[in-house]
Amino acid sequence: MGVAIVITSGKGGVGKTTTTANLGTALALQGKKVCLVDTDIGLRNLDLVLGLDNRIIYDLVDVVEGRCKIHQALVKDKRVDEKLFLLPAAQTTDKNAVTPEQMKSLIDELKREYDYVLIDCPAGIEQGYKNAVAGADRAIVVTTPEISAVRDADRIIGLLEQEAIEPPKLIINRIRKDLMKNGDSLDINEITTHLSIDLLGIVIDSEDVISSSNKGEPIVMDPNSKASLGYRNIARRILGESVPLMSIEDSSKGMFKKLISIFSK
Amino acid sequence: MNKQLVHIKGTKAGLVLRLDDQCAYAELVEELERKVSEGGIDGKVDVQLHLGNRYLLSAQQKELIEIVQGPGNMHVSKVHSDVITIEESNEKVLTEQSETYIGIIRSGQIIKTDGDIVVIGDVNPNGKIEAGGSIFVLGNLRGIAHAGVNGNKEAIIVASHFEPTHVLIDDQIETMSNEKPFVKENAEQIFAYINRDGIISYERVQEVRKIRPLLSTIKGGS
Repeated sequence: MGVAIVITSGKGGVGKTTTTANLGTALALQGKKVCLVDTDIGLRNLDLVLGLDNRIIYDLVDVVEGRCKIHQALVKDKRVDEKLFLLPAAQTTDKNAVTPEQMKSLIDELKREYDYVLIDCPAGIEQGYKNAVAGADRAIVVTTPEISAVRDADRIIGLLEQEAIEPPKLIINRIRKDLMKNGDSLDINEITTHLSIDLLGIVIDSEDVISSSNKGEPIVMDPNSKASLGYRNIARRILGESVPLMSIEDSSKGMFKKLISIFSK
Repeated sequence: MNKQLVHIKGTKAGLVLRLDDQCAYAELVEELERKVSEGGIDGKVDVQLHLGNRYLLSAQQKELIEIVQGPGNMHVSKVHSDVITIEESNEKVLTEQSETYIGIIRSGQIIKTDGDIVVIGDVNPNGKIEAGGSIFVLGNLRGIAHAGVNGNKEAIIVASHFEPTHVLIDDQIETMSNEKPFVKENAEQIFAYINRDGIISYERVQEVRKIRPLLSTIKGGS
């Protein structure tokens, strides 16, 4: 019996879908059987980020309404052999096509076959959110170091705390180290004390994330990116390993650092 | 000989009419009417009605007051009864008790109480507390706090870190966007109250004992 984890944020555009795609791929690379469920009915795009859009035949609404079996709708990611599957959202209808009860029984069915079921939640706190949370055992809240994203994360955490699931965990996405160092964006400590939930990990902002999303290849496939390392660390923490938080400093020394180290000799 | 149903006693503050609580209500009304019409009182006088263990409906209470005030020279200042209904008692308990909330009041959440509330945790921006009495936050107050919702002007708002967006006491409202210099520099351990001029002001928590000494529920001490 697997675990269902909902990935949510309240605010749009903070990286829920990217996080879902990357964590799913990272978990699959670690040898777990993973199913990704896109619940953003009407605005699906998890399939694009994974590069699986041209192989969709049936979708979530078809499964719920009994037009096909679950395994017919699942799309297999061939890059990670037999480990990663996607249940795409429908594009032609809207979020009211599914009820929380239907979602719950669907997720429960998937949990029997998969180690991890990652549910990509739509932005907002309406029907789509309620559907996404209905079947989840755990929740991950994604935020960015912006006051608006943190405010919405606070709201969503408040709602999640009223559900019968484990206390939500936090991912701070798209950290810009230059802004954070200068104090121009909220820093990690400020965010975690404000939201007072456990930090699951941080992901450093990188242009590679955008280009890899556009190519349909999750960034975790590229072992040399800092963002990729962030996602891999988070996946390992989900699996129960204790991994120290990566530093946001560059490991390779910058000009200034080099100068200091020369003078400090 | 009939038992006297209405005792009249003079005190410094005026007359006390002690009404018998065993007889029928009709008898009491009759006797009271007789006693009051006897007169013999010069000038205006304040009267307190002591009902003992008798519960009066508000209509009955009004009737008695009208009888006493009928001749015109007596004014009922207070009606005192030793009994109240369960409903009244429950209401009193609710408005006088202090409730404790442990946790974080997050954006969009509202916590309401009839009496005082102690929050062990934070109130985040856009979170709201509404209390009939006072609000005590052992943590960061960064949201909206409304004390004395039902017209209690004595209510105060205390926080160990005082940085709310809106402060409301009774019908007074203050937005903190143009932060008060005092609050900005002394965000730690201050409280808000309605001052003598009817506007919200702020002081260090140590001043509560001077400004609202009656909020203390422990009397005496050594």
